[in-house]
Amino acid sequence: MIAEEALIDQLKSPETREKAFAVLVNTHKERLYWHIRRIVLNHDDADDVLQNTFIKVYRNIEGFKGDSKLYSWMYRIATNESLTFIKQRSKKSGISDEELKNRMVENLEADVYFEGSEIQIKLQKALATLPDKQKLVFNMKYYQEMKYEEISEVLETSVGALKTSYHLAVKKIETYLKAD
Amino acid sequence: MGKKDEHNFKTPEGYFDNFHERLMQKIDADEDTQKLTFLPESDGFSLPKGYFEHVADNVLSTLDKKETKVVSLKSYKKYYYAAAAIAAVFLIFFGLNTQTESPIAFEDLANAEIDAYLENAELDLTSYELAELVSLEDAQLNDVMDTPLETENILEYLDENIEDIEELNLNFEDYE
Repeated sequence: MIAEEALIDQLKSPETREKAFAVLVNTHKERLYWHIRRIVLNHDDADDVLQNTFIKVYRNIEGFKGDSKLYSWMYRIATNESLTFIKQRSKKSGISDEELKNRMVENLEADVYFEGSEIQIKLQKALATLPDKQKLVFNMKYYQEMKYEEISEVLETSVGALKTSYHLAVKKIETYLKAD
Repeated sequence: MGKKDEHNFKTPEGYFDNFHERLMQKIDADEDTQKLTFLPESDGFSLPKGYFEHVADNVLSTLDKKETKVVSLKSYKKYYYAAAAIAAVFLIFFGLNTQTESPIAFEDLANAEIDAYLENAELDLTSYELAELVSLEDAQLNDVMDTPLETENILEYLDENIEDIEELNLNFEDYE
């Protein structure tokens, strides 16, 4: 894509970097935010991780070789930052990742930026039981409406494997939601 | 022109040639747009009004702050050199005075202290770095497991972690 190549050139040049970076942030902020938010759940945490993601993008753009699309590379950074955030927080709290994820869901009930009812809380509880990969694939496919080919580029996993992950995730969520 | 069969029905030219391909495209398209009826329409997340308007400014100001912080450290450089020089003098002085005592050897460290260090220090070693440091030639898997690994644990792990589980040619019914 010519526009993307031009933007990357501008990002790599010190004279045009800042302006191009503002364009980049404004183009991708919403999609990246929702991707991060569905991993860390809380708005303030999502805001911190989003900022860290863009800072990493800014600092590492020189090393971006263009082997993948720019948005896939940014999604990968956002995914890694979000998962690292959870790992660091669970380490600091002295609890397992699973325990932390359960607490994060419990905290949603008091979150002013969560307008979910009982069914939405139950959905988040179901998602918290999934392995990271299945949860990521489910959210990217179902709620972010990404194509398997796009997810494949972000998670560096074959389309066939993604379909299996999605299928397993849907089955597990359905079983969880239908159980009393 | 279409082809005639024994009942005189016709099909468009090349209709059967790409039938399978078109069918798969339709199946994929249906799968892509399929809504799951047991799920809520929205997952319930909301955010502060006008939040996205300030994201770019916030990121740029954070970047500015972090870069300013790096520059400001330079002004203290001369103090660091002075402190380092004083510390070096103290080290040499006390080093010379303690030459008569036998130095502490690595073996003298209690195993518990080493364990405590490894437990509490932020080593940040990757699995590969750890594998290079720790020889596992004589170790068995169950030596490092708290409980022995049972077949059902392995199957549960594979179910949760293997991306393309179908490639393993396992029969799902055996462990679901």
